[in-house]
Amino acid sequence: MQSQKTSTEEPALYAAHNKLYPREVSGYFTRLRMLSVVVLLGIYYLLPFIQWDGRQALLFDLPARKFYIFGLTLWPQDFIYLAALLIMAGLSLFFFTALVGRVWCGYACPQTVWTEAYLWMERKIEGNRGRRMKLDKAPTSAAKIRTKAIKHTVWIAFSLWTGFTFVGYFTPINELGSRLFTGDLGTWETFWILFYSFATYGNAGFMREQVCKYMCPYARFQSAMFDSDTLIVAYHPERGEPRGSRRRGTDLQKAGLGDCIDCNVCVQVCPTGIDIRDGLQYECIACSACIDACDEIMDKVSYPRGLIRYTTENAAIGKKQHILRPRVMVYATILLILFGTLLTNLLQRIPLELDVIRDRNTLYRETRDGLIENVYTLKILNMDSKAHRYILTADGIEGMKLLLDQPDIEVEAGTVHELIARLQADEFNMEERSVTVEFQLQAIEANHLTTIEEARFVGPGKN
Amino acid sequence: MASVSPLPEKIPGIQKAIAVLWPSFATAIVATGLFFSAFHPGDLVPFDLDIDVSPLAAYSIGFFLFWLLGILSSYGTMYFIISNCQVLNKQQD
Ligand code: SF4
Ligand code: SF4
Repeated sequence: MQSQKTSTEEPALYAAHNKLYPREVSGYFTRLRMLSVVVLLGIYYLLPFIQWDGRQALLFDLPARKFYIFGLTLWPQDFIYLAALLIMAGLSLFFFTALVGRVWCGYACPQTVWTEAYLWMERKIEGNRGRRMKLDKAPTSAAKIRTKAIKHTVWIAFSLWTGFTFVGYFTPINELGSRLFTGDLGTWETFWILFYSFATYGNAGFMREQVCKYMCPYARFQSAMFDSDTLIVAYHPERGEPRGSRRRGTDLQKAGLGDCIDCNVCVQVCPTGIDIRDGLQYECIACSACIDACDEIMDKVSYPRGLIRYTTENAAIGKKQHILRPRVMVYATILLILFGTLLTNLLQRIPLELDVIRDRNTLYRETRDGLIENVYTLKILNMDSKAHRYILTADGIEGMKLLLDQPDIEVEAGTVHELIARLQADEFNMEERSVTVEFQLQAIEANHLTTIEEARFVGPGKN
Repeated sequence: MASVSPLPEKIPGIQKAIAVLWPSFATAIVATGLFFSAFHPGDLVPFDLDIDVSPLAAYSIGFFLFWLLGILSSYGTMYFIISNCQVLNKQQD
């Protein structure tokens, strides 16, 4: 049911690019799509300015190697959570694709969202489809240069703002803003702002549907997630064909015509430039522009709406539809299990870590009292949002003593604290040459903050 | 399917560029993320060189090195596939 193109047309996949001039549409789905575009862009541009606990609510602080997600602070050690989140995002895409097809493409993909925004600016400045085509064909003139210059200036300004916002997710945006105005931006910050701006300008201004066609892996493999019950945008050939123009009030039966008046509006509005009447094609991003466009035509000629509509393959051929089918259930189950595991893990996560590194230079030392001494470097990572004081104990050999280079262990929020610990034990209490010992770290007045770390204690060995 | 000649010569340069630059770009992002969550840029200065790079610079340079590696690999893949197609096309003629 996928590409209806025959193999001899394959080289057309790499056809030279013809610039598209998507015609403007209005209608129910277009309004829905615009709403989605506005909400998503609003989130993107405003989110970095939201504060939480006195810092940026969403900040991937790369230099400090900490990710702040509202109340949660993730460290490089917590990489697994981010990986799990990404896997869940991927799975959700599978799930929603199986259920409702490419809604992601049409309503939420950044490529679509920014393309819509850039198209909107283009329309405001250059006019509707007809005027844009005329302008591009017109010979160079002062007026043409002026219009184009305005468009590109607006586009570039918007791109720069986009790039700035993007970097604002990685360095605190307020500081970034003030540094921008004092001209103190770092080399790499400047570089990434420009890089992201350029990518946005290129992708949303010029590449547009070509990104979907040639760069998007999802567009290529979405067919694997589709089945006959997946929601798709489809033309109703039995109703529409034979297509053809006609006069108002023509008796279709007599004229032998279907409902399609062959006005080509559905092709003109399509942001990927395809003809939905040729059947389901991988280029179709299910944006539903053609649905709104055709409905409007149907209204004008007083035919019922829905010649192009959201449907499923099964519905289209009059078969029974199944929403809860095995594929959907399997995706949903995996998703739920993953989500549950992630949540319980996050809730049980102890924001405290202890690293123990044995002194590498000396295996052991004998003290004046004849005890065996091992030296360790301890690193305490307080991943909590508060400072804590801790008690350290060690265990594993009878009568073992723990000596620290500092009386109190206090660690500020979100910092690493280093200390030297010395363990002393009597050789006679050691069963073997090398014994496993345990360091236990416990926060004072916070019982749940506790962690245990194992280490080796080495002695001369019994002869 | 002898009738379907892939005509690699007909692939526009821009699409070849995308085929090389884009997958390697995506891979480089993943590789950079994995690499730097395991290693701290401060621990990576080679051979006691006394250079002071900011973390952001280290991440960026790391990213571009990964991208470069990916580009080499993607280019290799493309080169072998295209040259192979050309050989097959010649044999068909
Ligand atoms: S918009 Fe509707 S009537 Fe017009 S060509 Fe497309 S399918 Fe036919
Ligand atoms: S065919 Fe229709 S739904 Fe598909 S991309 Fe074109 S306009 Fe959008």
